[in-house]
Amino acid sequence: MTGVVLRCEQVSVRRGDREVVRDVSVELRVGELVALLGPNGAGKSTLLDALGGVIAPAQGRIERHGRVAIALQAPDLARRSVLVNVTLALAWWGVPRPERADRAREALRTMGAEHLADRPAGTLSGGERRRVHIARALAVRPDILMLDEPFAGLDPEARANLLEDAASVLRSATRATLVVVHDRAEAWALADRLLIMIGGELVAVGPPRDLLEHPPSMVVARFLGFDGSLEDAGETLLTRPAHVTLDPAGPLRARVKRAVPLEDGVRLELELDRGRLYTVAPLPAPRPGDTIRVRVHGGARFPLGADGAAASPSGDGRSGAPAGAQPVARRE
Amino acid sequence: MRLLWEELRAAVPLIFHGNPYLLSIIWFTIQVAVIATVCAAVIGLPIGLAIGLGRFRGRRVLQLLANASLGLPPVIVGLFLFELFVPHSLLASLRLQETRKAVFVAQTILALPYIVALTAAAIQGLPPGLLDQARALGAGRRQLCTLALREARIGVLAAVIAALGSALSEIGAIVIVGGNVYGLDQTLASAALYDANAAHYAQAVAVGIVLIGLILILMGGVGALQQSGGGIRLRFRS
Repeated sequence: MTGVVLRCEQVSVRRGDREVVRDVSVELRVGELVALLGPNGAGKSTLLDALGGVIAPAQGRIERHGRVAIALQAPDLARRSVLVNVTLALAWWGVPRPERADRAREALRTMGAEHLADRPAGTLSGGERRRVHIARALAVRPDILMLDEPFAGLDPEARANLLEDAASVLRSATRATLVVVHDRAEAWALADRLLIMIGGELVAVGPPRDLLEHPPSMVVARFLGFDGSLEDAGETLLTRPAHVTLDPAGPLRARVKRAVPLEDGVRLELELDRGRLYTVAPLPAPRPGDTIRVRVHGGARFPLGADGAAASPSGDGRSGAPAGAQPVARRE
Repeated sequence: MRLLWEELRAAVPLIFHGNPYLLSIIWFTIQVAVIATVCAAVIGLPIGLAIGLGRFRGRRVLQLLANASLGLPPVIVGLFLFELFVPHSLLASLRLQETRKAVFVAQTILALPYIVALTAAAIQGLPPGLLDQARALGAGRRQLCTLALREARIGVLAAVIAALGSALSEIGAIVIVGGNVYGLDQTLASAALYDANAAHYAQAVAVGIVLIGLILILMGGVGALQQSGGGIRLRFRS
């Protein structure tokens, strides 16, 4: 396929005696921004290390067309100025000395960190360190850029600001970018394509919206926040809170089991005869013990007893998953 | 206490009389301390870097050996060297027995573990992400070493201070390999021992005061460099 800068086929990676990544096949193309999403311990960072060439896979083949720059998870900087830290990265990469200062300043400007250039790295806040960390990976202008949880450990405000800036900065027509995230919101904000990894396996690949609307398996659906579950018409209907609304004329009767106050409403846990749903209700909200009526719009349907990757999904309209969102087990 | 006071009073004039014997010992002590520390640094820094940065089999064993060597008894080192230097032994052809060179060798060997063990520890104490990131962005071995040394400079200078202290003060080895020959291969510390054994207590105290002064000056200099943080400016080249 044209524009493929990285191709890995049936790659497995071991850490000591443990197989952390199993049988992963994936491609990265120039111009796309791909997010690798999964819970803690899913093997995301290990896969990234293998794709980037930091560790060798135990099995499988990885082809890279171009140079790979990895921004590791820890944004540790040398005890020097911010500008020197970025020029150091350029020196490691092999950029000629006369070009380094200009390229370093440009990368810092891109990340909104040019004003930090002369600051000692030790005086930076967590968000500023992350910006400089990303800037030095951008400065080297790799063909493939990989970032390992670039927003980890930030307070919500710093994270939101950095995410907003990074969403446009990380997209480039001349390289492929792979970002490891474990927060779904980060993946939605960034990615053209999503790789979902659970338990060392790639369980779904596709555009974020497609995966969210048509999760290919119950495991993926659960991971994507489909926390409600209802038996309906011989199938299991999984729902996200947004799929469930309070409606006095709704077809389903539910009892409020728990109510957790949120900033803009209340998260309700609802008990039904054939399942349990969650929703976010505006204030004033029903209280625990109240009986209410609800309506479900959307959700994902699976055969009863389906336990994950083997399940055949269908959207709420029973039209099946689109080509973009598919369980990896069925790819090619 | 009164005896000490009297010895101190007797010692002070000896220090300030420009005694050529004392001056020659001071000069030799400085030579031994500086040369032994520099030699130990030249040999030990690459080993410390290899242990601190390396990912090779046997790295932990080397680290253990370096740490254990910190407790190396100087007398035992001296005995081994003596056995190696005596006629008809392995290194007899070097003709080092009871020479100044033997003193340099002995003090270098004693200073070496400080450089190796403390440098390795200082580098291992660096944030792991920093060195891994440098590797991930293609840093070569020389660039990694420069980065590690610069970032761990406070710990590395602590290693140099410890090595310097050892080279200035240890006498167990040099009195055996050098023979502690009057006016030939005595350092201030071994001269103090010599004078004390000869019951020249005022002379021994005078030598001791000068040694402490020298330690304060040399260690203070390196310590100031360490505290300045940016005292060492290493240039990074691609």
